Amino acid sequence: MKLVYDTHILLSRNLKKRFGEKIWFFLGMLQPALYLLLYMPLLKNVGNTSALPLERITQIFVPGMLIIMGISSLFVGFSFIPEIREGFITRLLVTPISRAAILLSFIITQVVVLFLQVIILLFIAFLLGLRSSFEAAFLSLILVALIGITMSSLSYTISIITRSEDALASIVNTLYLPIMLLSGIMLPISLAPDWLKSAARFNPFYYAVEASRALFLENYSAPVIAEGFGIMLLFAVISVWLVVKALRNMTS
Amino acid sequence: MEKDDIVLETKGLKKTFVTNKGKTQVEAVKGINLKVNKGKIFGFLGPNGAGKTTSLSMLTTLLVPTGGDATVVGFDLLKEPEKIREYIGYVSQSGGVDMSANAEDNLILQARLHGASGDVAKKRASELIKQFELSEFAERKTTSYSGGQKRRLDLALGMVHRPKLIFLDEPTTGLDPQSRAHFWEEIRRVKTAGVTIFLTTHYLDEADNLCDYLAIIDQGTIVAEGSSTQLKRQIGRESIIIGFKDMKDLEQAKSLLGKQSYILKLRSEENKLHLYVKDGEKLLVDVLHLLDNHAVEMHSIELAKPSLDDVFLEKTGRSLREEGS
Repeated sequence: MKLVYDTHILLSRNLKKRFGEKIWFFLGMLQPALYLLLYMPLLKNVGNTSALPLERITQIFVPGMLIIMGISSLFVGFSFIPEIREGFITRLLVTPISRAAILLSFIITQVVVLFLQVIILLFIAFLLGLRSSFEAAFLSLILVALIGITMSSLSYTISIITRSEDALASIVNTLYLPIMLLSGIMLPISLAPDWLKSAARFNPFYYAVEASRALFLENYSAPVIAEGFGIMLLFAVISVWLVVKALRNMTS
Repeated sequence: MEKDDIVLETKGLKKTFVTNKGKTQVEAVKGINLKVNKGKIFGFLGPNGAGKTTSLSMLTTLLVPTGGDATVVGFDLLKEPEKIREYIGYVSQSGGVDMSANAEDNLILQARLHGASGDVAKKRASELIKQFELSEFAERKTTSYSGGQKRRLDLALGMVHRPKLIFLDEPTTGLDPQSRAHFWEEIRRVKTAGVTIFLTTHYLDEADNLCDYLAIIDQGTIVAEGSSTQLKRQIGRESIIIGFKDMKDLEQAKSLLGKQSYILKLRSEENKLHLYVKDGEKLLVDVLHLLDNHAVEMHSIELAKPSLDDVFLEKTGRSLREEGS
């Protein structure tokens, strides 16, 4: 199929670019590991639960970390905006490959990079004592992929509309803090006052974190899993629709 | 037979941008008719903001027109944009080089995007590297290229799939004179290979020296078209340019010459007076006599054949040169 072939050509170009920037790529891969090593020990004495065993902490923290990595896909626009400015994207638009192939290749690039990061993170977490089933890891990977699709599409949309790193930076910063705080990744939402707890209910990523935690606790019958997947799928569809629309507006 | 010779034709091609939530409308291109003949260098001359890039974006399928029709390389612009993309090359103002890769990888990617297999793409890339003299730096990252080197790669990228028609948007903007001259040669060589070239420019000398046929655009409308020689002949006048050291002399000359019936138009620019006349060579003597008799001191005098700037001035009332840019 032409779509698959065209997507594959651009995908390999994009991956070559990402892996080509060796130092930056390495640092990017290392970041989740830094979170694990530097942040996790702080969680030991949080709240009233004194001195949880490390294994239990990894079970709560690592699922949240996976979601953070997905959310970090918001940053992809920073390398996309220069490509718009330098005319590279325009050059692609005048070749016979379809618009769909262009968008797909850019979104899938981020998903591939995410997969790698998740695998590295899970490996380090395993060394720190995390034990989980293959199913839990696999399903979490799918969940992260959905978030990666959502956040990279949003980032590309903002990039196409604003074409400005400054604008993207302030939008990403504004979104990042409330999303992180209200998802219960860094600190448990159970510590929050009631109004903050209700606010968290409006954060779609709260459900993703809950779903991912239930998976790692192998609590497969928990309704939060279906909720988390459902909400993330919905958001993925909406944001892909947004980026398709943005690209179409670019040419009208 | 004639139809085969036309690679591009537009009828009333129009683009109106709606901004400010539908409140204001900007007519960037107000319905233009163009005909581009095969194997020629067609120049689209006009000041910045005249609608050149907007027109080009429509013709290269990047922008959907709000009105009119166009046929590009034999296909309908509105109905078959995908077909058109197979046969046109496009070099935008910013070029479109992938800055994360070297020249060779850029060329290979472009060939593959046009459907070439890996081997064919590689072969084509090395052909182009030779043809456009890129070999010295083809394996270096494009971020280290000079303006001229990058421009040559831009052109090579547009030629990868052997297009029938190539669009160049302001191809020599920002190049130093030597690189410009070199780039003009490259463009001429592309023409020799049988490719039709459609370029936009705001440089008078580029339009004059490089283009076989010109369309002058201003504020979204074509104000004149023809070959450079034809356009200048249409003007049918020459100019006598007299320089003065003292502005008082200039003013005096202005009032004296203003009374002469043989002067079609008079214009002062800085310390120079431009007189537009029909038969410059003969009148030069008359003008000299007149000013000398009234003891007006002149610093220099020259006779200038009509230029494209005069054409622009005649049609729009403004000088293209004054626009700066």
